[in-house]
Amino acid sequence: MSSINTPAVVMDNGTGFTKLGFAGNDSPSWVFPTAIATRNSNSSSTTNTSSILNKSSDLSSINSPYTSSDTSFLNRNKISNNSIHGNREMSDLDFYIGDLAIDASKGPSYSLNYPIKHGQIENWDQMERFWENSIFKYLKCQPEDHYFLLTEPPLNPPENRENTAEIMFESFNCAGLYIAVQAVLALAASWTSSKVIDRSLTGTVIDSGDGVTHVIPVAEGYVIGSAIKNIPIAGRDITSFIQTLLRERGELDSSLKTAEEIKQKFCYVCPDIVKEFRKFDNDSEMFAKYIVETVSHRKVEIDIGYERFLAPEIFFNPEIASSDFLTPLPIIVDQVIQASPIDVRKNLYKNIVLSGGSTMFKDFGRRLQRDLKTIVNERVEASERLSGSKSSGVQVQVISHKRQRNAVWFGGSLMAQTSEFRSYCHTKRDYDEYGPNIVRNFSLFSVP
Amino acid sequence: MLQLEPQNLLIEETFASALSPNYEFPSLDRILTDFDFTTYRISTPEDKGKILLSIGIKCWSDLAKYGSLELLKEKYGHYSFIQILSEGSCEPGYDVSLYIDINNCTLNNIEKAELVCQLSLLKRNCFAAPFLKAFKRYEVLSRENPADPNNIYGEDSVAATNNNEEVLKLDYRGEESIFIKPSNDRVTVIFSTVFNDETDKIFSKIFLQEFSDARKRSIQKAPQVINSHKDVPLEIQHIEKPTGEKTYITFVLFPRHLNTEDAKWNTITHIQMFRSYFHYHIKIVKCYLHQRMRYRVQSFTKILNRAKREVDEAELRSERKTASGRRFEVR
Ligand SMILES: Nc1ncnc2c1ncn2[C@@H]1O[C@H](COP(=O)(O)OP(=O)(O)OP(=O)(O)O)[C@@H](O)[C@H]1O
Ligand SMILES: [Mg+2]
Repeated sequence: MSSINTPAVVMDNGTGFTKLGFAGNDSPSWVFPTAIATRNSNSSSTTNTSSILNKSSDLSSINSPYTSSDTSFLNRNKISNNSIHGNREMSDLDFYIGDLAIDASKGPSYSLNYPIKHGQIENWDQMERFWENSIFKYLKCQPEDHYFLLTEPPLNPPENRENTAEIMFESFNCAGLYIAVQAVLALAASWTSSKVIDRSLTGTVIDSGDGVTHVIPVAEGYVIGSAIKNIPIAGRDITSFIQTLLRERGELDSSLKTAEEIKQKFCYVCPDIVKEFRKFDNDSEMFAKYIVETVSHRKVEIDIGYERFLAPEIFFNPEIASSDFLTPLPIIVDQVIQASPIDVRKNLYKNIVLSGGSTMFKDFGRRLQRDLKTIVNERVEASERLSGSKSSGVQVQVISHKRQRNAVWFGGSLMAQTSEFRSYCHTKRDYDEYGPNIVRNFSLFSVP
Repeated sequence: MLQLEPQNLLIEETFASALSPNYEFPSLDRILTDFDFTTYRISTPEDKGKILLSIGIKCWSDLAKYGSLELLKEKYGHYSFIQILSEGSCEPGYDVSLYIDINNCTLNNIEKAELVCQLSLLKRNCFAAPFLKAFKRYEVLSRENPADPNNIYGEDSVAATNNNEEVLKLDYRGEESIFIKPSNDRVTVIFSTVFNDETDKIFSKIFLQEFSDARKRSIQKAPQVINSHKDVPLEIQHIEKPTGEKTYITFVLFPRHLNTEDAKWNTITHIQMFRSYFHYHIKIVKCYLHQRMRYRVQSFTKILNRAKREVDEAELRSERKTASGRRFEVR
């Protein structure tokens, strides 16, 4: 095949953010919202389009050879296409993805959509166009020349895989495709941590992104489906919790963006809330100030108080933000491991791996490890008391590492970089021969 | 999203931030691509303030033959803080490297923007050399043997004298090539392309037909486009063997595409993107069709669902059977 030496493309499409890049790199080339702005059918003006186009090429507009428009082929093609199909039919090409989509949707003529809900692709039309733009505009590659590694959430229905394969092979003719489970990739990503000694694919993954938090036990590369648990608390909820606090206090700016930034810059997990409250009350240094520049270039100062530690605390004490979900994260993790086969439990406790943006809070791993240890020790003591014999103890270890934020993508990059990767992929030829259902099975990577 | 931008967005972004005043100097090491097996690597091998940008192009040996390196020197050589490394001294596995010392950059903002733009167009600049060479040759030829001014569109000019003019050939994707042939009244650019997928082949035919039709209809300033499947165009018959697999697309560039410096660069920028653009649009068409198909299936399913008969409880009970096939007693 002609695509022998090209790097594989790794795409991790999450509910909130899409990570795009090439295998072998240590961070994704692009991280942008999994959002697509499509044109509203009723508006007809094209002025908005051009203003955004100008904006996106702001930098290059000076003396740039590609913005002189009078003789450009592209313009000609635009016109020709329009005259052939008429404006209405071209609306399928009038869209933006990522950050541009969010900018575009501020105007009246575009509406913003998120094609992925709870980790699963809901709108295939939009997703297909999202991929088309990701590949050609952002990654700049011909799908024929590259192998692709895509990710899927745990318990993704096989039909979704087939749909994905259909798009990747039939629309894009990609050379080869591998669809990996996010949790398994997150485990692979943890190998970079110095705490991990043996590179095994056994462990409990806590993947907390934008929409949901999954706790997934994995044994030798296989997800133990029956034991998976979801927690309906994730990044978005934390942001809106902060937003509510800001509103209640009547801060001058309580937009989503501000709340998001406060979350990322100031929040941390505390060992004990009661003590932390006292600490804040005794020491005004703990309160932070954040300066926002508003749209009108006015500077607004915002006080940040208890939300610094209260916001991430909802993982550990959900009752402060929600009324219908009340089980703390450490208990869920314990339940998940207890629901797994007995012979892997020890290894599941020993290798608890964090992944996703919402596990980035400072000391998140430490707190989780402490709380979980308490639960486990209590159980061990109880059983020692009952049986009268001494237990060898259970080691609980939560692993945080540098690549946590994009752990899934990074794990994918590690996997796709290996020389065996291609032999695990299904190729275009396989697909043409056997049809979409070949992607129901992918063989697991053997651990190098 | 009709357009594919000629610049590489990631390079543009990387250098725009690297040249901005409050840059934090992270250590970089990343690989990226830019169509047709072009790969870039951006890294900071020694010092975080010195960025090494390397490019590897499949047909570099052809490009070098037609003077790409000289062109790059012209484009980037006058920046005192950029070193151009080639052949022996460039990064192994790549063809040319630019070593950019961010710390010693003394440009003002406008010059910086221009530099960022030129860096993001590195691939285009590499590909420009053979085109510029052909354009120069065209200028010489047209002076020696001026074209007939009455023949504005040049459609029927027989250009018999130019037949033994050298054809510049770039094997830009291995088995697919670009041929450039200058003559006294035009420059002919021929792309050969191969489709592995049967469906794509059909789409391409329709698409190309549309190309030449559109020109006839409304946009006469565009270059003439001629396409042929299987048959090798006359201009390159002496160097290309017919394989029966390739599609040839011929662009005829007329003086108006070549008369000013701006027009020249504009032509180059767009024509070197042609294949990517072409394949991109075939994909777009497929996406669009899939969208329509999904819509259709959905509406059919709706109709089918509506046609379902409501089954009432009593009927359901009488239908129920045991495993051995006996009916339940109806009470
Ligand atoms: N430094 C940080 N501290 C806290 N939260 C963060 C940080 N960085 C990112 N986040 C949050 O992480 C979330 C995005 O995480 P991620 O990219 O892992 O989600 P996703 O993959 O899109 O979603 P999912 O995995 O649920 O499908 C966002 O809600 C963002 O606000
Ligand atoms: Mg994710």
